[in-house]
Amino acid sequence: MSLSVKQLLENKGIQAKPEHLEILESRWKGMQALRGNLENIKIEDADIGLRNIPGGDHIG
Amino acid sequence: MAKELIQKSVEELAPLLESGSLSPVDLTKAVLDHAEETQDTINAYMTFYRDEAEQAAREAEKEIKDGNYRGMYHGIPMALKDNLYFKNKVTTMSSKIHKDFIPEDDATVVTKLREAGVIFTGKLSMHEYAWGITNNNPHYGAVRNPWDTSKIPGGSSGGSGAAVSIGSSVASLGTDTAGSIRIPSSICGIVGLKPTHGRVSKYGCYPLAWSLDHIGPMTKTIKDAAGMMDIISGYDAKDPTSVDTPVDSHLKKIKGNVKDLVIGVNEEYFFKEVDNEVDQVVRGNIQALVDQGAKVEVVKIPSLKYAEWAELVTSLSEASTIHHEDMLKRPQDFGDDIRMLFELGELPSAVDYLQAQQVRRQLKQEFQQAFQKVDVLIAPTLPVVASTIGDDTVELNGKKVDLIDNIIRFTGPSNLTGLPALSVPGGFKGNLPVGVQIIGPAFSEALLLDVGYAIEQTNPLKNKKPPLLSKV
Repeated sequence: MSLSVKQLLENKGIQAKPEHLEILESRWKGMQALRGNLENIKIEDADIGLRNIPGGDHIG
Repeated sequence: MAKELIQKSVEELAPLLESGSLSPVDLTKAVLDHAEETQDTINAYMTFYRDEAEQAAREAEKEIKDGNYRGMYHGIPMALKDNLYFKNKVTTMSSKIHKDFIPEDDATVVTKLREAGVIFTGKLSMHEYAWGITNNNPHYGAVRNPWDTSKIPGGSSGGSGAAVSIGSSVASLGTDTAGSIRIPSSICGIVGLKPTHGRVSKYGCYPLAWSLDHIGPMTKTIKDAAGMMDIISGYDAKDPTSVDTPVDSHLKKIKGNVKDLVIGVNEEYFFKEVDNEVDQVVRGNIQALVDQGAKVEVVKIPSLKYAEWAELVTSLSEASTIHHEDMLKRPQDFGDDIRMLFELGELPSAVDYLQAQQVRRQLKQEFQQAFQKVDVLIAPTLPVVASTIGDDTVELNGKKVDLIDNIIRFTGPSNLTGLPALSVPGGFKGNLPVGVQIIGPAFSEALLLDVGYAIEQTNPLKNKKPPLLSKV
């Protein structure tokens, strides 16, 4: 099942402007196209380096 | 006299101020008068601080007279982008929602510039919440490009770009999340530096996207940018992303000697789908450096093909997180363009966001490998020149293409990698300036400025000034 942009936003409580919906659908598709063949390349072991530092990561 | 003053750079004004042959009071009045005179046409300012500025100028005059000259920026009048906090002063982000917001503290960059003796003349307009590149603001009006007032100044630091270009601020600061320092700098014919992430504290800057945001100088000359970097760089415990790495003087390292410099050129990404005349200008500048003894190497950075996607997913997700509550409660108070971006930013999944961070990691590794072969990369700052105000498209070799998608194509990767990137004027397409982008390894700002200086020394703008200046 694929949800429409309108449904996805409504599920989060966001009321998209009706005149935006068509443009959002097209922009979202454009972003998927930019993603290209990402699923087929090896990025599984690319550690994004998020650090879990006990007690906080800065002073102040 | 006033007309000459407003055209001068910091490096030209500083010796006059230090010697006492120019008073900071006269300079500040000249800059503010000019800023007010051009406001109807350019609309660069959000707020003027005339009374405080004139008071600060009198204090600077006394200090300098008493032998307490603080350095290059002492007595220099400057306005800043309106997302940088001034304690007890309204800071709007050029938005309706924050129109009455008063910060409790100065931004660290404001504190540092004040300590260096800068005189603040006011706050400058920006694209609402820094989330756009046109500076066509629905609440406060469009900022206009001094080179052609029918054109955009770029953004989001469009007020800063226009003000420095027209001389209504001697220098300024911008913020850059996908190119917001370099885009208006390229379009307005000035110097703009996005430093390494963590080099300049972001404390007291309203965020657009935390992991991509940077603060940096926007100036008339390379030496002005170097002098400002000497002031604003350095570790700040108040900023969790600040990096504690030693800072050398940027200014002292500027010699403009590029003999044996190895320039990397990446044809597949940074020279793909570029306006033919822009392409020619940038390659002409590379050739000028080769003529001075530099060498060119071709470099491959395969993951750049995913950079636009990773930049969009990261910036959209982070920005929509910051504004999520207002999108639930009062979406009608955002300008229509950014409201749509906030809607779009609610769509990527957690997996999308994390995969974008993985792409980012790959990209960092590939840039690092490239910098084992070359000293810097050179590319166009933008594939196009300034577009017309109100037009969402821009012409690229005879075709109309989407403005936003195209204008951030070459600037966004350096926000993802956090690497420093400089835009320096390289020439013109018609009457509109073209910027050359120089990208380097982490913390190589001094090197980038040095290469930029070598370009500047060839006088690529041929001493041309925005047409409005000739009417002053």
